[in-house]
Amino acid sequence: MISEQTFTNDALTPMENRKIGYLIGGGLRENLKARLVIPSDQVQEGSFVMIPSGNWVYYGLVTDIQLGATDARFADEESEARLPGELAHWLHGQTLYTNLEILPVLMLERGPDPASQAYQPWLEEIKSGRRSEPKMMPVKTIPPHHADVFLAGEGEIAEIFGKPDQEGNFVVGYTREGGHAVCLNLDRFVQRSAGIFGATGSGKSFLTRILMAGLIQRNRSSLLVFDMHNEYGYDDVASDSGMKVNGLKTLFPARVRVVGLGANSMVRGTPADFSLEIAMKDIRPIDIELLSTELNLKETTPTTLEALVASFGPENWFSKFKEMENGAMVETEDERGRLKKIPAPSSVAAWANQAGVNAMAAEGLHSKMSILFHRGYIREKPAADGIGEIIKMLQNGMHVILSFGDYESDLDYLFVTNFLTRHIREAWEATTNQYRTKKLQEPRPLVIVVEEAHKILNRQMAAQTSFNTIARELRKYYVTLLIVDQRPSQIYDEVMSQLGTRISGWLGDEDDLRAVLAGLAGRDTLRGMLTHLQPKEEVLLLGWGVPMPIPIRSRRYDQRFWQELMKGKSKPQSEEQIIAELGF
Amino acid sequence: MTEIKIGRLLSSNSRQFLVGCRVAQADIPALGTLVRVNPQSNYAIFGLVYDLYIADDGLVRQLATVEEMDESVIADHRINRSVPLEIRVLAVGYQEDGKIYHLLPPRPPLGLELLWLCTDEEVVEFTNSGRFGYLRHILREQDIAMEEVLAAHLQLAERAHRQAGDIHWSSRVVQEMIVLLRDDYTNLIRVLQSIADTQVFSENDWENQL
Repeated sequence: MISEQTFTNDALTPMENRKIGYLIGGGLRENLKARLVIPSDQVQEGSFVMIPSGNWVYYGLVTDIQLGATDARFADEESEARLPGELAHWLHGQTLYTNLEILPVLMLERGPDPASQAYQPWLEEIKSGRRSEPKMMPVKTIPPHHADVFLAGEGEIAEIFGKPDQEGNFVVGYTREGGHAVCLNLDRFVQRSAGIFGATGSGKSFLTRILMAGLIQRNRSSLLVFDMHNEYGYDDVASDSGMKVNGLKTLFPARVRVVGLGANSMVRGTPADFSLEIAMKDIRPIDIELLSTELNLKETTPTTLEALVASFGPENWFSKFKEMENGAMVETEDERGRLKKIPAPSSVAAWANQAGVNAMAAEGLHSKMSILFHRGYIREKPAADGIGEIIKMLQNGMHVILSFGDYESDLDYLFVTNFLTRHIREAWEATTNQYRTKKLQEPRPLVIVVEEAHKILNRQMAAQTSFNTIARELRKYYVTLLIVDQRPSQIYDEVMSQLGTRISGWLGDEDDLRAVLAGLAGRDTLRGMLTHLQPKEEVLLLGWGVPMPIPIRSRRYDQRFWQELMKGKSKPQSEEQIIAELGF
Repeated sequence: MTEIKIGRLLSSNSRQFLVGCRVAQADIPALGTLVRVNPQSNYAIFGLVYDLYIADDGLVRQLATVEEMDESVIADHRINRSVPLEIRVLAVGYQEDGKIYHLLPPRPPLGLELLWLCTDEEVVEFTNSGRFGYLRHILREQDIAMEEVLAAHLQLAERAHRQAGDIHWSSRVVQEMIVLLRDDYTNLIRVLQSIADTQVFSENDWENQL
């Protein structure tokens, strides 16, 4: 039901807001143009404005501010020096001006003037269902010439982005001018994969922490965080300010589990909740093929791996291959009694000859894979079923932070994230199918947080990884991605185009800017906004998850944030209720 | 209110008229002065003095060469000359049945009509009427020293408004001039520079207003 506030137009009363100008031209394609009636420095690029006109209120963003003059000579000449100050002031007031360019984004029907006779019948039509309730919609028309332009106030921000105290809304930052809270609907946010982008030092990690804290507190979906740099689990120290930064484990001790890679792993000097070891029997050829760049594998690798699986079975090939001796030879006599060297029966070459694959290719692969054979976290018989444990925890509503500990190389990151994601995807696929066919328990929504995403989602790899499938197939398996990256241009276009919500800090590179804005309306104008964001403090919210793009001052990850977050701890809810509200 | 008679109309058209008077007349109107003729009791035409012309009457050329001249000769030339002093007036509006219009008069005044100096009250009433529409008649004229006439008018009228207690009139009128001329850089700057030279916008006044 439409809120009473919309009926009475309280939130839309322009009198509460400040008039900043009036429309002088433009259109839907080329943006609206407005003449500014206040000093130019009182409006910023990205300001959120409203244009009430007739039965509609239009909402838009200031995308450009331009100085103009009725005649260029008025601007060229410093008339203050030639005329008394008052005359010069009046002259400038009439001949020099500032124009705004406004990207119109949304419009909302507000109905006739409440004081007019037409208002009550309009209201009645809505109440009786003869007319649909007013709702925000993308702009389809434009206000007329000379329509007044106002800076949007708190009421409009709440009208569009949601009220901070409303269930599911999470204050992600504040508008730059008024400091009004801008909310992100977390339930909507996790329905599709999302991305957080920004150059190094633009505040990505803090924003990711803030969002993750919000998601954990909201507790509608589980989080699996691939924490490549061991920064999210336990307390950390901010690299720039030197201040202590609370880890998610510290703040949500009962809901978060920190998993370390390898036996007895330590994360920043603290033992992990438990260790993840990968059983050799779980490794499949695809896990190796994904490392082709890292291991510099040849085109013959798939054939060799296929032969290994054919020889030893899908569960034993890795351990058997590891046991083989590379280059081992034995001496034997031929039929004429001469000694000659042949591959030892335990050697790679002997197996290759027997299996009918190229011996040199097999030896090459063995030698390249030796780096994996000696990884501490890959065991013949791990102490526990780490993968199963993680899946169980995630299905039971826990949040898992996988810290890579000492294994910070790209190879470890790629191997483990792919391996784990493949298993998770299989598990969620199975649960989803069971749910759909046998009406068993519905899967718990899962968000996988991937740092340095371009390493796994680049053009070469994306097609082969599970991440790509997750990003593209979206809600089908109740798993979505939260990609955190500084080089969005390196991420495969298909993955980028599937991202619902994009949150971007400052980006300097042309290609990165283009990638973040790909597929969005008005990207040329949004581009300017992205380049002018203040590093560390400001981000631009974009995409499907937000009603309209808006630059904001991101929330500080500090004591106050925690106090506010803890104050609104959500009440426990049944799984069915959660699923229904999330819209899966 | 004392009405001051200036002279009589020599010729006229819808846009301007020519008035003749004696040179020695005490109240020769200054450039930019608002004047009027009253062809009928309910019909007055307002004009702005934009030029004053003293023509050569033939005798003056001979007198100018005389080395020493008696004061009585000079006085005689000025009082008894056959060619009058000419006052050129730009029509800027009219009043009919008590209502002021900043339009050209529907009918020009006839010959020998009397020209009167407007009082301060009339100046205030005329210049406050409407939205400074009378300025466009001045700005349209190419053949007059438009910026000087405007500056002179502003100075005179501002005094009348100030006496009537309105100190913001000059600000309003200048802003209107800027609006009307803002697409004409050359003329606008000339007008503003002329205005800047008036007493209204002397530096002292400006500092006081600050």
